Amino acid sequence: MPQSMISRPIPARAGIGLRLPHQSMVAASRPAAAWLEVHPENYMADESALAELEQLRAHYPLSLHAVGLSLGSTAGINVEHVARLATLVRRLAPGLVSDHLSWSVANDHYLPDLLPLPYTDEALRIVCRNVSRVQEALGRQLLIENPSTYLCYAAPALSEAEFLAEVAARTGCGVLLDINNIYVSARNQRRDPGEVLSGWCQALDRQVVGELHLAGHALVATTSGEELRIDDHGDRVCDEVWSLYEYAIGHFGVLPTLLEWDTRLPEFSVLQDEAWRAQQLLDEFAGAGARAAHA
Amino acid sequence: MNLREPAHVLHTPDMPLAELQSRMAAALMADDDAGRELPATLFAGALPGAEGLRVHRNTVLGALSHVLRLAYPAVDRLVGEAFFDRMAVAFARAHPPTAPHLSAWGAGFAEYIRDFPGTGALPYLSELARFDGCFDLLARRVADEQFRGIELVVDEAVTLCFVAGLRVHSSPYPVAALRDAILADDAAALGAINCGPGEHHVALWRASAGVMVQALGAVAARYLKAALDGATSELALSSAAAETPGAPGSEAELAAQLQREVLQAKFVQIRTYNEFVRGAGQ
Repeated sequence: MPQSMISRPIPARAGIGLRLPHQSMVAASRPAAAWLEVHPENYMADESALAELEQLRAHYPLSLHAVGLSLGSTAGINVEHVARLATLVRRLAPGLVSDHLSWSVANDHYLPDLLPLPYTDEALRIVCRNVSRVQEALGRQLLIENPSTYLCYAAPALSEAEFLAEVAARTGCGVLLDINNIYVSARNQRRDPGEVLSGWCQALDRQVVGELHLAGHALVATTSGEELRIDDHGDRVCDEVWSLYEYAIGHFGVLPTLLEWDTRLPEFSVLQDEAWRAQQLLDEFAGAGARAAHA
Repeated sequence: MNLREPAHVLHTPDMPLAELQSRMAAALMADDDAGRELPATLFAGALPGAEGLRVHRNTVLGALSHVLRLAYPAVDRLVGEAFFDRMAVAFARAHPPTAPHLSAWGAGFAEYIRDFPGTGALPYLSELARFDGCFDLLARRVADEQFRGIELVVDEAVTLCFVAGLRVHSSPYPVAALRDAILADDAAALGAINCGPGEHHVALWRASAGVMVQALGAVAARYLKAALDGATSELALSSAAAETPGAPGSEAELAAQLQREVLQAKFVQIRTYNEFVRGAGQ
């Protein structure tokens, strides 16, 4: 196997979500970043961007974070889409591959959003079936991310954390824990984000979590004037989410952590600032862990 | 990957998941209040279900509109964000995507807006969109520095090698000039363009510096288009001459016109006796 095609593991450091408007600059000047994560769907019909990304992967460990597998669809997995993803995985040899606990396909149409699932037995069977098929097609483990939610179905059988823990247990997939999404979902359901995160910590085995996500979100009002948090990835990480992040790495350990920014995209240096802040916390906890091991 | 035996026996909701997803998808794309409703009993929690659906509807339609805005920047700039969103959302409802790689979606947008209400003052809007779309497709190609496209044997000694992805775009409106002026925010240039119906042709191709555009005369455009469609040089030449009113009558005049517009262009490399004698840009 050529050296360039060997998968480079994602380090337990703070990486940056690479978006197309930054890509040419990053390719030209190669700014500091521990690793990069991209949405593979952006490269499936853009040979020019893909060629550039192939060059970049020689300089940065790369993770693929899909948004289109629709793992919760009763319609099943789009075989052509999985084949396209498999082609990218072969070409880019990413260190991690992930998607979301959500659905996007119904009535033969693709809706570009991460739509929520009811956490029922039927949904669990469908998600497990789809995750297993994708993992078999790719020949590797997927990480599944908890999405931000704005809808809460009546009488769920399991919490989101219990549901995802069960998916991981049945399929062997890993979990990508998005700390901002936990915060947004909890606040939208008028729950205490700290308690919700604590529930995640109880539900998930430590070794199941393979990556953490951080991002900013928007605070808006509902039509009746109530607070609503929108996970738009359009701002710096808020202080409350940083606190949850500290709690999470205290519990799950030092993990690859990604800073995402999608809307109102600022200069790349702003993303580096945010990643640097996450890195400081990772270093702090790594140091504390090492001191504890030597004590 | 092995499936482990279920550890829990969970409750099954009243509505099967397939029906829930089908109805929610329809509700998210509906353009009328009645179509947007789902049974309130499906949802619980602090936020009303209708409020959550509104968030998802905005996300779905906003994302689809954004995809089209990136592919049709001149149309967006010309009509403004709000009107573009109206056209984009209407198109998305009529032709929702079927696959997740959205940059391959939206090819029918130009045709869809041809008679879109409120665009009567811009008769060239659909043609401008068609050109925007052509430009966008080429922008996503890798530049071909090796002239790996169609090869056209002119005679025993000369072969024309075109860049891969080369295309000829023909329109009754001067869409290339319109696009340049619109994207440059050059109102004076825009005002000076004669938008009366006519015949306008350009060659487009992807170079390392980006998408390149070169104006072509009618004969050259038809010759090139026929050649790219697989015609022999002789057939391409005769059909171009026959289909072009006012084309040069003599073969020598035709050859001179093609020499100026095709043989000296940067999208072609001339190979003589199996050797390259001229590279791009020379």
